[in-house]
Amino acid sequence: MDDLLADFVAETREMLEASSGEIVAWEADPTDRARLDTIFRFVHTVKGNCGFFDYPRLAALSHAAEDALADCRAGRREPDSKLVTGVLAIIDRIAAMVDAIEADEEFDTGGDEELIAALAEGDDGTDDPSATQAEQPYLSQTDVQDNPEQDKTAHSRSDTAVAQRSIRLPVDLLDRVMSGVSDMVLARNDLAHRLRQAGTQPMIDGPFERLTSILNDVRDAITRMRMQRIETLFAAFPRLVRDLSQTLDKQVTIDLEGGDVELDREMIEMIRDPLIHIIRNSIDHGIEPPSERKAAGKRKTGSLSIAARQAGNTISIVVSDDGRGLCPDKIGKKAVAMGLITEGEREGMALNDILQTIFQPGFSTAETVSNISGRGVGLDVVRQNLERVGGTISVKSTNGIGTLFTLQIPLTLSIITGLNVVASGQRFSIPQSYVEEIIHSSSRVLDFTTVGETGLVTFRGNRVPCLKLSEVLELPSSDLADDDLTMVMLKLANGDLFALAVDDIHSHSDIVVKPLAPAVMQAGIYAGSSLLDDGMPVLLLDITSIAAQSNIVSDLSRRLHAVPEEDEGNEVKDHSRAMLFTDFVGRRRAIRLDLVKRIETVQTSALDRSGITPRVVIDGAILPIIGLPDGPFEREKLRFLRLSDGDSQLAYAIREVVEAAELSGSLTPVNDDPLVEAVTLLGDETISLLDGHELFARYGEMPTESSKPLCRLPQGEWSRTILAPLLTNAGYEVTSEPGIQEDVAIWFDDEYEAAAAIEMDFAAPVVRLRETPEAPENSPTIYRYDREGLLAALNSARHAGGQR
Amino acid sequence: MNTLLVMAQIAGRRCAIEAPHVDMVIEMGAITPVPRTPDFVSGITAVRSQTLTVIDARLAIGFDPGAFAMDHRAIVATHERSAYAIRVDAIEDICTAVSDPDQVPGGFGEAWARVSSGLVETRVGPALLLNLESLLKAPEPFGAAA
Repeated sequence: MDDLLADFVAETREMLEASSGEIVAWEADPTDRARLDTIFRFVHTVKGNCGFFDYPRLAALSHAAEDALADCRAGRREPDSKLVTGVLAIIDRIAAMVDAIEADEEFDTGGDEELIAALAEGDDGTDDPSATQAEQPYLSQTDVQDNPEQDKTAHSRSDTAVAQRSIRLPVDLLDRVMSGVSDMVLARNDLAHRLRQAGTQPMIDGPFERLTSILNDVRDAITRMRMQRIETLFAAFPRLVRDLSQTLDKQVTIDLEGGDVELDREMIEMIRDPLIHIIRNSIDHGIEPPSERKAAGKRKTGSLSIAARQAGNTISIVVSDDGRGLCPDKIGKKAVAMGLITEGEREGMALNDILQTIFQPGFSTAETVSNISGRGVGLDVVRQNLERVGGTISVKSTNGIGTLFTLQIPLTLSIITGLNVVASGQRFSIPQSYVEEIIHSSSRVLDFTTVGETGLVTFRGNRVPCLKLSEVLELPSSDLADDDLTMVMLKLANGDLFALAVDDIHSHSDIVVKPLAPAVMQAGIYAGSSLLDDGMPVLLLDITSIAAQSNIVSDLSRRLHAVPEEDEGNEVKDHSRAMLFTDFVGRRRAIRLDLVKRIETVQTSALDRSGITPRVVIDGAILPIIGLPDGPFEREKLRFLRLSDGDSQLAYAIREVVEAAELSGSLTPVNDDPLVEAVTLLGDETISLLDGHELFARYGEMPTESSKPLCRLPQGEWSRTILAPLLTNAGYEVTSEPGIQEDVAIWFDDEYEAAAAIEMDFAAPVVRLRETPEAPENSPTIYRYDREGLLAALNSARHAGGQR
Repeated sequence: MNTLLVMAQIAGRRCAIEAPHVDMVIEMGAITPVPRTPDFVSGITAVRSQTLTVIDARLAIGFDPGAFAMDHRAIVATHERSAYAIRVDAIEDICTAVSDPDQVPGGFGEAWARVSSGLVETRVGPALLLNLESLLKAPEPFGAAA
């Protein structure tokens, strides 16, 4: 019996959800027979079911609604807004009763008769005010937000046209399966690590790969199981909009788009309140009363549109209305009055930036506080809630035309891409979504300075606060000098930037985030933990909290001082700024700043020194190098100035970037070195200014973007997880798909010999890998962990293969 | 009565944890320290792809672990959906309680009273029955004292 009852409750809820949208649509177009039928079916089913379960009050209510609707169907009665309101009130009552039934409570408030009467009264055409009175207080109590149970059903309503087979599952069970699969993924990673340590074992590797692919499939499917169509959230909105606009005497139509976008069930719950808040705001403050709209030359009926779209791993939801829009002047004044910004700052701010202050805590422009919005919880709470799940919100508006809110939220909460960094010898993970850029700070371009106790770096012309991760974590700071730290530029959800200085960057990986124990969460700087491929746990940093704890969030936007713009102007006009650097021989040199496209840091393995002109692969482009010293390098990473004259590019190897400086002194031409245009005095030093014209005339080359050499890899986990990243780093495109013409191929020696034995035709030069460090006699093979040897062999094989 | 107990030495005292509360006993692997957490949180460790929070019971109760030996194994228990590995001086044995937990006149001392629900008699002698919840909840009183 209990099972049956639970089914009844769930089924009723599901239909409730579906029909509330239908009923509003029906009100808009009472002749729509299909909608009427849907609603009729709903009350009819409820009536039938509750008769079966012996709920006389439910039966009476649904019976009354069914009668009224049947009259409409038979054409005996014209559906008017009064009837719709009456039917809606009954549906609300049914929902409340169903809740009570589930909670096993007595639903004791009376008033069913009035609801039923409200339906009947309209029947004979008299407009009895008392009937409207009777339902009005009830309506105002009920609104969709206060009635979350209605939407708790975890199942997306399948499209009415395409009946999908579905079953009902408790959400707990889903969660358990999900976490089980996450654990399986972790266990697999652990196993993969151990297998890698043990070396290739064909007996085990095959089945293991199969396991891996099955697991990936299952994980995909499970992730989709957690996904829910966003229309489950949307379904409640037509009703919400209708009730709100009635209460406020406005006319609003709602237009929903992208209901088939799917996102994580939890995420839907997280964005429900923010969205409802924005809708309330739009209807209350945005959309004008009909008379005002008419006066402004707009249609009497305002329109509110909500559209969801998926782009990669984010979902964007745009809520737009055609109301009166936001007034930047008013907002600016208010923000100044509230002390959120200063008068001076307001004058310097772009209109759009002024609008964003509405998300600041304590902001509300509504002149009168209504009971719909402006109740103290403002858009700042909306922003906070969204930021908690890694989302963002922004607003655009044109005064008098309308307002547009854009919400960006991640697809899922539980599996994210993490950037693993090292601080004081320990690894931590940062959600990749925050990472804007990674910069090796040894260049003084970053201009790391300490003002008072605050570290600052200059990033793209802005002074940005800089935190040292080891200090944030109160770890002993490492031996690295400030100049050797790597800067991870992080962008917070509100667009604020800050730099986090770490010792090193370790790797990227997909991580399954696990919650931490309360004692650890208390620290307030961790978002969870995960396991790395080697089985070691790693802590996921809570970037937003770290920024908040260091007090760089709230006033960051004010502190993010743009370095005065005139600088940039001069730069373009006078062509008189230069970048100072030390080259490999230790000489101070300068080059005109306009020529410097970027400063690049490259692993030495990406260098190709086999030709006459050495080359380097940067971002898939092969560039000629100048300024490289002879002989081996003492460091693993090299720094280059990437120079460009617009078409050709070249890489200039440097030891260190000194600074960008104004070429204020006079330039004295020199003739002894063709590559030097002139010498000049900078401070107390003479500096040779490189001759850009000569440089490009001699060495410039169009970057050969497409000619990233393609290397064929053998099949298998080892080559995919170990070999492929190595080669990609070294500037190769990798493939193991058949049917593509590769430039060079890597084979395991045993497989190669087997292939050679059947006189297979090798389309490209082959590099053979062996299992053991020691080479057998006369064997042209490379030990599979000999990185240098492998890259050298690939290079020479490629060149021997005819410089393809 | 007749409850199975996991017997352990903590800060030189014999303690008992009710076996149904114990998930397993593990060999400790590498511990990843967690900066900016209370002292008694030694770090986190992974066992069979599960992350455990490592708690030093001596510190959680308020003793200096340096004065005692440390078992290379740890007791794993789950509390409010978080799994913990509890480190003690030594994990001894599994015993059956031969009495219900009982109070002693004069109590066990403040530090112990907070984490113990009483004394149980076992065949190896009396032991303090630990209340895992209070042990793992150590943060508040401990943090306040520190």
